[in-house]
Amino acid sequence: MDGQVNIPPKTSIAAALGVAALFFWLVLQVPERDALGRSLPLSLLLGGAFGVLLQRSRFCFYCIARDYIERRDPRGLLGILVALAVGLLGTYAVIGGWMPVPSPTRLPAEAHIGPVSWVLALGALVFGIGMTVSGSCISAHLYRLGEGSPVAPFALLGAVAGFALGFLSWNELYLRAVQEAPVLWLPRWLGYGGSLALQLAILAALALLLMRRSAPVEPASSSLFDSVFRRRWPAYVGGALVGALATVAYLRVGPLGVTAELGSWSRTAADGLGLLPKRLEGLDTFAGCATALKETLLSRNGVFVGGLILGALAAALVAGQFKPRLPTVVEAARGLAGGVLLGWGAMVSLGCTVGVLLSGIFAGAVSGWVFALFCFGGVWLSSLILRRMAVARGLL
Amino acid sequence: MKFSRVLAAAAAVATAIVGWGAQASDALVSTEWLEKNLKDPKVRVIEVSVNPGVFERGHVPGATNFVWHTDLADPVRRDIVSKDNLEKLLRNAGVNQDSTVVLYGDTNNWFAAWGAWVLDIYGVKNVKLLDGGRKKWEAEKRELSTQVATAKPGNVTLADANPKLRARLTDVLASAEKKSNTKLVDIRSPDEFNGKVIAPAGIQELAIRAGHVPGAVNVPWGEAVAADGTFKPAAELKALYAAKGIDGSTPVITYCRIGERSSHTWFALVKILGYDVKNYDGSWTEYGNSVGVPITNVAGTVWTGK
Repeated sequence: MDGQVNIPPKTSIAAALGVAALFFWLVLQVPERDALGRSLPLSLLLGGAFGVLLQRSRFCFYCIARDYIERRDPRGLLGILVALAVGLLGTYAVIGGWMPVPSPTRLPAEAHIGPVSWVLALGALVFGIGMTVSGSCISAHLYRLGEGSPVAPFALLGAVAGFALGFLSWNELYLRAVQEAPVLWLPRWLGYGGSLALQLAILAALALLLMRRSAPVEPASSSLFDSVFRRRWPAYVGGALVGALATVAYLRVGPLGVTAELGSWSRTAADGLGLLPKRLEGLDTFAGCATALKETLLSRNGVFVGGLILGALAAALVAGQFKPRLPTVVEAARGLAGGVLLGWGAMVSLGCTVGVLLSGIFAGAVSGWVFALFCFGGVWLSSLILRRMAVARGLL
Repeated sequence: MKFSRVLAAAAAVATAIVGWGAQASDALVSTEWLEKNLKDPKVRVIEVSVNPGVFERGHVPGATNFVWHTDLADPVRRDIVSKDNLEKLLRNAGVNQDSTVVLYGDTNNWFAAWGAWVLDIYGVKNVKLLDGGRKKWEAEKRELSTQVATAKPGNVTLADANPKLRARLTDVLASAEKKSNTKLVDIRSPDEFNGKVIAPAGIQELAIRAGHVPGAVNVPWGEAVAADGTFKPAAELKALYAAKGIDGSTPVITYCRIGERSSHTWFALVKILGYDVKNYDGSWTEYGNSVGVPITNVAGTVWTGK
């Protein structure tokens, strides 16, 4: 490919070791705790692990959806279902310890259980369209940044702008729908056991549906080193590890999420430019990827996202998948435009595929399921339109 | 062998004495005392922290969590929790008539002290504050638990609210207009006291006037604590407040912005120095919004003015 840099393996392994050294140096450098007493080094370590997981198992919601839509390959989607099942079990174990009986008035501490309204559905739909346009969701753009993706920087820049647009439309949406939207937590109606059984049953039914398509057989690997460091991990392995990591993160630091820091940069920048209304109504009262104005340079989500990028970079270097190149104009434009949609959708939905879809469903939130439905709906719809357009132009 | 045992016993007794002696008052318990008495069924520990998710990710083993803005305050009207609701809450936390209740929390025990004030209003006996709060317990690397203990329901019975511990606007106004001999202690920062700002940095302005109640003296709450977050010794506290004319010879009212930091000073003045003190939970967000009351505004800040 034009402009592509081919890094010889020895150089890239040395570079990976350098990145790992930088990472662990940072673990020793970051302050011990944030304002709420959470461990920042732990947040950074978990972010690094999350980056390695995402990169090694190609845990990219858009690629996974496209595999199924275009080639009927269900492996990636099954990986997400595994992540949801493992994360549900782990998160329920944590919540059940904190709140032995589901409270009728209170929600488990900081769990991403959001208001359910048409705003959430619309936000998720737009987010899904943004995934198709930019080629990834926000978490995947972050790990792709570590792979040297030419699109990711534009998509993330676009997302920051999209967030600002989200803040601008927030007060209107809040007063029209979000303020009176119910915050639905399944254990409140079905208990822990009932809601867990229901959600696992839904996941099992979806898995059975997907498994009717015969998945391509994973080719046997030549060596263990190859399967761990070079070849893509089976999606179910990535999924199970994401579910386990989410449990540890929730217990010790906070629910998984990747947009709080981006949103917080956007809010601080837009506020600094005087673009935002003086008050964003009710925003700070919701759990989720809340986006506070930046007060400290190092927040727990900030170090988590930083760790994610470094982890993905190290993993990509070892695998020989670090392939930076200059973007084309079309790539930059698609990244920016798709990024704006991602940012707007994530802001009005109070998070993205990680913060709302994964962390929400893990905690038994209806908002997580609604986001999943409309986000994948958006991907499917926009893929269909793109395909029609390509056919019409005689490209397919 | 025998000698070493005697030595060990003597050391234990000495530690216990020092452990007690280090506290400024018997309304305070040390982190060391609490750790030793955690297994005592008569000791019930309650955390009142303001930050969400702090209790869940590690608390003093066996502690129960109270959320101040829903458990200890009325969520609809501006008031402290009702007697019935607090009684239910305490019974669920396993508090009996003869229990010793130890309160602690984050941000220097502000909300734990607020809890101590509310419990005192309803006549709960043997309420203590963990000296140094959560911060000291954590700094000393003592054990934290993420498990929520379910206590056997207790039998504590509350008395009717005692109005003597709670100041109302009329009490504060009487002092401001020199119609009573009650002295006022404003525990906010000097910038709030002098009217340079209406609320602390990063906090929403909820009052529309700047300044302080006429006649109030300014002793920021932080002056009552040592570097490790514990209260200063009684003699130091006595000198600190006496220097501002608060010597216990007349009744006192403490206030701040919403009444929670001033509970901390209320606790020091009542429980350590034994003065006659009311806490004014209306504080500046009530007084500074009241029509026609006298105000001293040194800085001259005008709300929304240029």
